[in-house]
Amino acid sequence: MAEEGFDRSPDVLIVGAGASGAVAAKRLAEEGFDVVCLEQGGWPDYTKARAPYPDYELTSGRDWGWDPNARSSPADYPVDDSESDITALMWNGVGGGTVVFAAHWQRNLPSDFRVRSLDGVADDWPFTYEDLEPYYVRAERDWGVSGLAGDTAFPPGEGPPMPPVPLGRMGRRVAKAHNDLGWHWWPGPNAIATQRYGRLNPCTQRATCLWGCSEGAKASVDRTYWPVAVERGVTLLTGARVKRLLVAPNGLATGALFVDRDGKEHVQRAGVTILACNGIGTPRMLLLSATDAHPDGLANSSGLVGKRLMMHPFGTVVGLFDDDLGSWQGAWGQHIHSLEFYETDASRGFVRGAKWGLQPTGGPLSMTHSYPWGEENAIWGPGFHQQLRKRLGRSAMWGIIAEDLPEESNRVVLDPMKTDDSGIPAARIQYRMSENSRRMMAFHQDRAKESLEAAGAYETVIAPFIRATGWHLLGTAMMGSDPSRSVVDPWGRAHDVPNLYIFDGSTWPTSAGMNPTATIAAVALRGVDHLIAEKRSTRTSS
Amino acid sequence: MSPAKFDADRRAVLAAVADVLIPKGDGMPSASEADAAGRWLDEVLRLRPDFGPPLAALLDTIKGSDPAAAVTRVRAEDPAGFGVLAEVVAGGYFLNPEVRSAIGYPGQQSVPIVHEEPADYEQDGLIASVIARGRVYRPTP
Repeated sequence: MAEEGFDRSPDVLIVGAGASGAVAAKRLAEEGFDVVCLEQGGWPDYTKARAPYPDYELTSGRDWGWDPNARSSPADYPVDDSESDITALMWNGVGGGTVVFAAHWQRNLPSDFRVRSLDGVADDWPFTYEDLEPYYVRAERDWGVSGLAGDTAFPPGEGPPMPPVPLGRMGRRVAKAHNDLGWHWWPGPNAIATQRYGRLNPCTQRATCLWGCSEGAKASVDRTYWPVAVERGVTLLTGARVKRLLVAPNGLATGALFVDRDGKEHVQRAGVTILACNGIGTPRMLLLSATDAHPDGLANSSGLVGKRLMMHPFGTVVGLFDDDLGSWQGAWGQHIHSLEFYETDASRGFVRGAKWGLQPTGGPLSMTHSYPWGEENAIWGPGFHQQLRKRLGRSAMWGIIAEDLPEESNRVVLDPMKTDDSGIPAARIQYRMSENSRRMMAFHQDRAKESLEAAGAYETVIAPFIRATGWHLLGTAMMGSDPSRSVVDPWGRAHDVPNLYIFDGSTWPTSAGMNPTATIAAVALRGVDHLIAEKRSTRTSS
Repeated sequence: MSPAKFDADRRAVLAAVADVLIPKGDGMPSASEADAAGRWLDEVLRLRPDFGPPLAALLDTIKGSDPAAAVTRVRAEDPAGFGVLAEVVAGGYFLNPEVRSAIGYPGQQSVPIVHEEPADYEQDGLIASVIARGRVYRPTP
């Protein structure tokens, strides 16, 4: 348990065992680095993944809930969202958000890295799609991604290592409709194994990806990366909650002070520290690490730590069909995706765009919920059985990921009142959806409705806006070349603290309109490769 | 939190409001006929003991009320309470194997992926049509 790591000073300390921490840990271990990772949560308990059992729909929300405030497990810290239009969702444990993510594996597009140059808004990234492309390819092989090369919405290049999930009846219908409309679609890229691949089993299409994959087919990093990293010598301490990072008088990071499950404090020293705590946990950690020398938080000379929070406004449009589409089964995941309206078209009244993923709609209990069906379509009462027959297995839905642009007023701060159960100040988020985001979402919902109608839907439902959609936590420790305008450099190294790195989605200058895990993984891989290459010339405190 | 007790009185209140939510019809039993206030309530509460206290409190507030009026009032005034009530009633209803059979829902089944030749996306010229339309992204400037 925790004691084993205390008495040594490894080369690298990683805080957080989610996607980016896993990528860094495995890569560093492969190169012979001594690595310790501190993770406040534990390993996921897949005995609670109940997909094969009748109680699945009843228990999934309890055991695999996405909202840390609702979950309130010992691994969680409160996130006060009373001043936010969107609730932040996350999984605090080994695997991080990949334990409960939908596994949509979306590379960003070339334009996502050149938002300022192309659309005159926000900021360009300090590298291009072409710079990142080799890391996407490597990450897709490391993770175990399925999909199809040649997507016409992307530059030519290598595709994922496994064939895509089946289109299914609903995917074929919508694909044909998009062909008739002349709209883009492509088989969905997913971090889901469609054949045996490394430690992953083939998907069995139970459509339960978001609530703990019972089959071991979804490429969450607790299944893929961490067992390999641990086998290669990485020490992964669970139940280890970091209170703050430690800094020497010379300005270098020396490690972290953390609390174990028994409330005992420990110091974990290391030559290099990597933060991989997501777009809320990472700025929280930097702000918690304020000292007399850094009164506004560590690595915060730019004043941007915590600012520019982006969470991707999310929309859903459902179509009802006469035919049995078998739509409680499949990969969830996405059967197809569409980037038809992803690129900016100024005539629409907003800049940037959104990605659509076609998804199953769930089992019978899901048919009774107010999301996505809407209170105005409540199923209860005399029409219950008729409505159930209309929805169950005969519906399909587009999930819409909309790009929100960075605004410094959207931010993460420390909560002055609340703490986690270790007494560490909680996070508070302040986030308002912009007019650009609202226009974008309305436009995309209308187009998604047209898509489903063209596919034969006799009725469509635009899901009500709900707050609990903040799966993607981005932008709060921006990367860039100018230390006065960014927190970390283009490789994730803090401008102010040369042996402190940030590899999670905090570093994104803009949010793109894509599910972010593919790019989080690729950017982390690029960053850790650079760290490894530069290690000899990096000043360390050891 | 001690587990809430669901005696015959509370179950009777639940059965009445449950039948407002899921009435008999279209060849399907009502919620109470499917035993959503009996055996399946027990099962729901075994699986989700967290539902017990709020459900018990809600049932006690509507005891003696007209069931339909009570449902209308709870939906309007206590959305969280209504959410628990609805989840318990529908959750129990859909645990009943006879109900699951009647609606044709076998559960989330294991359906191994069969890789067709040609692949489904290649059939009927589906993917060829997309490719024929050409690339649609903006390149890096």
